[in-house]
Amino acid sequence: MTRSARSRDRLFEVLFPPETTDWLSVLRLGLGLQVILLSMSLRSDWNHLFASNGAGLISRDLSEAISTFETPLSPRLGWIVSGGNALGFDEQAVLSLGWLALLCSGCLLVIGLFSRPAAITAWLMHLCAVNSGGLLSYGMDNFTTIGLFYLMLSPLPDRFSLDARLWRSRTKDPQIVGFFRRVLQFHVCVIYFFGGVAKCIGPGWWDGSSLWRALTRPPFNVISPETIISWKTLIPFLGISVCILETGYPLFIWLRRTRVIWLMCICAMHVGIGLAMGMYLFAFIMVVLNIAAFGPGLGLAPRQKLVRGAVL
Amino acid sequence: MNGAGIDAGYGFFAPNVPSNYKLVFEVHYSDGKIEYELPHVGGADTGLRIATLLDYVGQTHYDPLRELLLKMLAYSTWQSHPNAVMIRAVFGFVTLPTVNDFQRGQKESYEFLYAYDFRFHKEAAEVHSP
Repeated sequence: MTRSARSRDRLFEVLFPPETTDWLSVLRLGLGLQVILLSMSLRSDWNHLFASNGAGLISRDLSEAISTFETPLSPRLGWIVSGGNALGFDEQAVLSLGWLALLCSGCLLVIGLFSRPAAITAWLMHLCAVNSGGLLSYGMDNFTTIGLFYLMLSPLPDRFSLDARLWRSRTKDPQIVGFFRRVLQFHVCVIYFFGGVAKCIGPGWWDGSSLWRALTRPPFNVISPETIISWKTLIPFLGISVCILETGYPLFIWLRRTRVIWLMCICAMHVGIGLAMGMYLFAFIMVVLNIAAFGPGLGLAPRQKLVRGAVL
Repeated sequence: MNGAGIDAGYGFFAPNVPSNYKLVFEVHYSDGKIEYELPHVGGADTGLRIATLLDYVGQTHYDPLRELLLKMLAYSTWQSHPNAVMIRAVFGFVTLPTVNDFQRGQKESYEFLYAYDFRFHKEAAEVHSP
C-alpha cells in the first residue's frame, strides 16, 4: 500500500470512526431538557421580549434589523408573525404559539418521539428567537444553536428514543454516526482552544483579577464578595486553571490517559460557573455538549462499543 | 454559519472581563415626586439578557441608535408608570474594586456616561436629549 493510500485510510479512520448512537441519545436528551428549561425561563417575558414596535422591551423590528444586517436570509420571528397575520392570527397569538412550539419540541426531544421533526422545529424556533432578540442573546443561545444544528443533521433516531421502539428504523451506519460525533468533537475543541487562548492573552486571568471581576460583576454576583475574599489565595490558581483547562482541551481530551480527568474538570468548571454566577442554562448546555462529544464510550475500543451498543 | 451558530466568537470574558453598564430611570411626576427604577423583567434568565443589551448600548458609538434603544427601554418603564410626566434615563458604567481595594473598604463606583429625558404621551413620545 502506498503512503498516500495509507494516509487516506488513516484520515478516513479519523473522520469516520464506527460509533453507536449512545452519544446522540445524550445530545437529544440534553438538548431537549435545555430547550424546555430555556422555554420555561422565558415564559413570562417571551411576548414582551419579541413584540414589535411599542409593545415590547426592545422593538423586535429594530433587533431583527441589527442582528440580521449581515445575514438577511436568517430566519426570524418576524417572518412567522407575518405568516400568522396572513392567516388571521394577531402578533401575540403567533408569538405564544411560537413559544409553545419550542416547548413542545423540547418535550418531544426528551422522550425521543418524532425526533427529527422535533429537532428541526427546536432549531428553527430557537434560531428565530435568537435572531429576533439578538441584542438580548448571549453565549448560551449560541451554544444551544450549535447543539440543535448538529442534532438536527445527525442520524436520528438513536436507539434509546421512543421512535426506535415504535418504528423499527433502518440500522444506522456506525461510520456515519461516528462522523457526526467527530464533527461535534472538533467543534468543541475549537471553541475551548480559542476561548482559552483569548483568556491567556489577558493578564487578568493569570493573577486572578478577571475571575474576581467575573464573580463580582452584576448580574453574575451570586456569591457575596466577602465570601469570595475568604478564598482569596485560591483565586489566581482558579484563573490559571481555567486558562490551562480551555487551552489544553484539544490536546488532553484526546489522550486516553487524560481524557476522563479533563472531561470531569471541564464539566466541574461549568457547574462551578453555573452555581457561582447564576448561569445555569449556560452551564447545562456546555456539560451536555461535552458529555455528548466525549462521554459515552470513553476508554472503550470501537469494536467493544459496537458490540455493546448493538447499533439500533 | 448563522444557522450553525458558528458566526460568533468564543472569547467569553476574554482577554479581560469588561466593565459592566448600569441603567437607572428617574421617573418624574407632575407633583415633583421622583421615583427610581431599574429595567425590570420577569425571570432571572432575562435579567442576564438585559446585561447583554446594556453592554451593547454602552459599546455603540452611534448616538441615535443608543438614544433609540434607551428610549425603548424608558417607554417600557413608562408603561408601568403612565402618570409620569418625564423619564430620565441615566446610563453609566460600574467600576468594580480590585480584591485589595475591596479589602480596604472600597465599594463599586458608578461613572456617569449619558442621560436622556423622555416625555411620553398617550400615542406619541417626545424626546428631549441633553
